[in-house]
Amino acid sequence: MSIHVSEFRLSGAHALAGVISALKSEFRLEDESESNSTHVYFDSFDWRLYRAGVSIRKDDDGENQRLELCRLDESRSPDTLELDGAMPLFAWDFPAGSLRDQLSELLEMRVLLPQVEVNGLNRRFRVVDSEKKTTLRLVLEQYNTRSPEGVDGRPVDGRIRLIPVRGYEKALHKVEAFLAGELELEPVEMGALEEALASIGKVPGNYSSKLNFKFKPEMRSETVARQIHLHLLGIVESNISGTVEDLDSEYLHDLRVAIRRTRSALTQVKGVFPEDVVEGFKPRLAWVGQITGPTRDMHVYLLDFDKYRDSLPERFHADLDPLRRFLQVHQLEAHQDMARQMESEAFQQLRQDWRSYLESPESRSQALAYAGRPISELAGKRIYKIYNRVLEEGLAINDDSHPEALHELRKNCKKLRYLIEFFSSLYPEKDVKALIRALKSLLDNLGSFQDLEVQALKLREFAHQMVAEGEVPADTLLAMGMLVDGLLRRQVDAREVFAARFSAFAQKENRAVFKRLFARQKAKRNP
Amino acid sequence: MRIIAVYNIKGGVGKTATAVNLAYLSAREGYRTLIWDLDPQAAATYYFRIKPKVRGGGRKLIKGKRELDGLIKGTDYHNLDLLPAEFSYRNMDLMLGEQKKPAKQLLKLLRPLSEEFDRVFLDCPPNISLVSENIFRAADALLIPTIPTTLSLRTYHQLLDFLKGHRVSVDLIPFFSMVDRRKRMHLDIIKEMSEARPEMLPVNIPYASDVEKMGIHRAPIGDFASRTPAGQAYEQLWAELKGRLA
Ligand SMILES: Nc1ncnc2c1ncn2[C@@H]1O[C@H](COP(=O)(O)OP(=O)(O)OP(=O)(O)O)[C@@H](O)[C@H]1O
Ligand SMILES: [Mg+2]
Repeated sequence: MSIHVSEFRLSGAHALAGVISALKSEFRLEDESESNSTHVYFDSFDWRLYRAGVSIRKDDDGENQRLELCRLDESRSPDTLELDGAMPLFAWDFPAGSLRDQLSELLEMRVLLPQVEVNGLNRRFRVVDSEKKTTLRLVLEQYNTRSPEGVDGRPVDGRIRLIPVRGYEKALHKVEAFLAGELELEPVEMGALEEALASIGKVPGNYSSKLNFKFKPEMRSETVARQIHLHLLGIVESNISGTVEDLDSEYLHDLRVAIRRTRSALTQVKGVFPEDVVEGFKPRLAWVGQITGPTRDMHVYLLDFDKYRDSLPERFHADLDPLRRFLQVHQLEAHQDMARQMESEAFQQLRQDWRSYLESPESRSQALAYAGRPISELAGKRIYKIYNRVLEEGLAINDDSHPEALHELRKNCKKLRYLIEFFSSLYPEKDVKALIRALKSLLDNLGSFQDLEVQALKLREFAHQMVAEGEVPADTLLAMGMLVDGLLRRQVDAREVFAARFSAFAQKENRAVFKRLFARQKAKRNP
Repeated sequence: MRIIAVYNIKGGVGKTATAVNLAYLSAREGYRTLIWDLDPQAAATYYFRIKPKVRGGGRKLIKGKRELDGLIKGTDYHNLDLLPAEFSYRNMDLMLGEQKKPAKQLLKLLRPLSEEFDRVFLDCPPNISLVSENIFRAADALLIPTIPTTLSLRTYHQLLDFLKGHRVSVDLIPFFSMVDRRKRMHLDIIKEMSEARPEMLPVNIPYASDVEKMGIHRAPIGDFASRTPAGQAYEQLWAELKGRLA
């Protein structure tokens, strides 16, 4: 039932009445409804709904409030929910049903934020045929906008929307031709939501934690490095307030990933910044990782809590409730500590210093081996070097190797992944995708191996802490013991599949691709 | 996609009224619903104010040269589309007979729509023919409006025999239609048959002028008289049917 919608611009207040009477003189037009409405559109900070072509809209007609999950292209009628309590913030706050299922998939852990408020007059008409059968629907809209903070948006043109009825395309084409030809109305390209957002200065989809750099091979390495760092710093900064306000767990996650990438770029993209700069920022950036770690740990346990609980037989589920409360309390504490640090002088100064270094004029000093060299040269060299290190370390691992060896390998795999992601635009997309996929599968395995153990140990630590903090039911401790057992078992499983994952990664085909993309082409020697 | 055929060998028992009203209720609940008017009389098509096709693609359709998709019309209701009747359906038996597997053509035609629709209602012409055999093989359930008379019981048994003879297994869901509670015979037969036939849905559609008015309004009863006894009876019927389909 997919529908194509065409829209025309209505500029000026007088246009509306004129358009209606012109349409009435030409077509069998029936009034359907007229309503004043206030809509607030919601999305996550990173526009997950918009990217999926949908939006959550809260409609308020003064008496009732309801939520609609609408498709931006109106290809399906919206899923609706009458609101009788507070606005749900997370997917899991919605009542069970198809709406919640769809939102859980799209939003995951992200909070819904109001993005723009639209107030307007909506008039709906139907074009009918000789049987009074509806053959086309028309919606005339005039509206103004406000930001969630209450600032009025720029005035927006009204629009007339044609919503075709399946099998009656002729009516659509006739009315389209009339509006465009006789009335000389202009079609609007921009969707109503985009236009409303634009009127308050927002661009949907303008934040993403994913990297999408576009570099040219001949660019100076220093220029590229600065662009990477500035972009990452931007991600860090745009996530600070959401992290401090604890809106959802993903702000902190994105911030931490950006910091990790920054640290990796700083040390792995060598020879582009002076040594004292690198050495000066290294510990300060590491500090950000430290102050945010404990809160992230708690987030992870809380996000995974249901999964943990469901891994136990149902009759033990309730035994874990005290653990959940423990996690919630400690999450709050950890968050308070972290928020204090993030609002500290030291953190502000770090951002300021880092930004002003990155925005300062580039050094033309000859002392830096790679600053002035083309990025293609440096990128290939660094990636190939780390790749060879990964191969060497991985091949040395056997069934008796110490877990430390796998942890070390994981670190280098991560460095490799970050490097490939920074510089992916320099290489054929298809190759890069295949390598990332292979690397990711290995990294997932190494990650499980390490994280499962860390989590198991951490759970034991929590158990001791809970005992120290006061009364904790024996059943809770026993249930936690079962969780520890399950985690360690899965860790053993992860160790067992490592060899297969690694050899898939290290296979000949991948080696050939690494070599082709990143190895320095040996210049032919003169005979 | 679930396919529900509203069928009875007998004419004038309320098949079209049932198909139209249930399809409307299904769509109103958010199921993407299609009603296919298989009766050349085009009554269902008429109720939705859609013009039947005089000279259609019936033959092309069955020969596989045309897809259903392009013939579907949107009704005036959300989520509810209709495949209009064609007068050429009169010759459908002949057209079907020319095909390789004449009894499975309808199912073949419907299959491509399975992504697009959650529920398909077939409004069937009365009688037993190649068309109805196609319907039996395509449907997940046969919904059988039955007037509580002795004659109706006989036709129900005829249907059972036919299905058995042709080795068709389809869920049979009979219910009483056009029930006149003032008639002793209606009440007796309802009682008797409900006991003898556990598959009877425990909902009776009353004989009511509101159903007849669908022809004047040219709309499903839910659109103009949903609060009336007949309107409510169709809602109950829909609720029961959903339970049986689940
Ligand atoms: N419950 C009812 N009460 C009163 N009249 C009804 C009822 N159901 C159907 N009718 C009327 O009876 C006539 C036949 O109904 P309908 O067309 O639904 O039956 P049908 O089985 O589809 O008939 P056909 O076999 O001709 O296709 C119509 O005029 C309809 O308005
Ligand atoms: Mg009929």
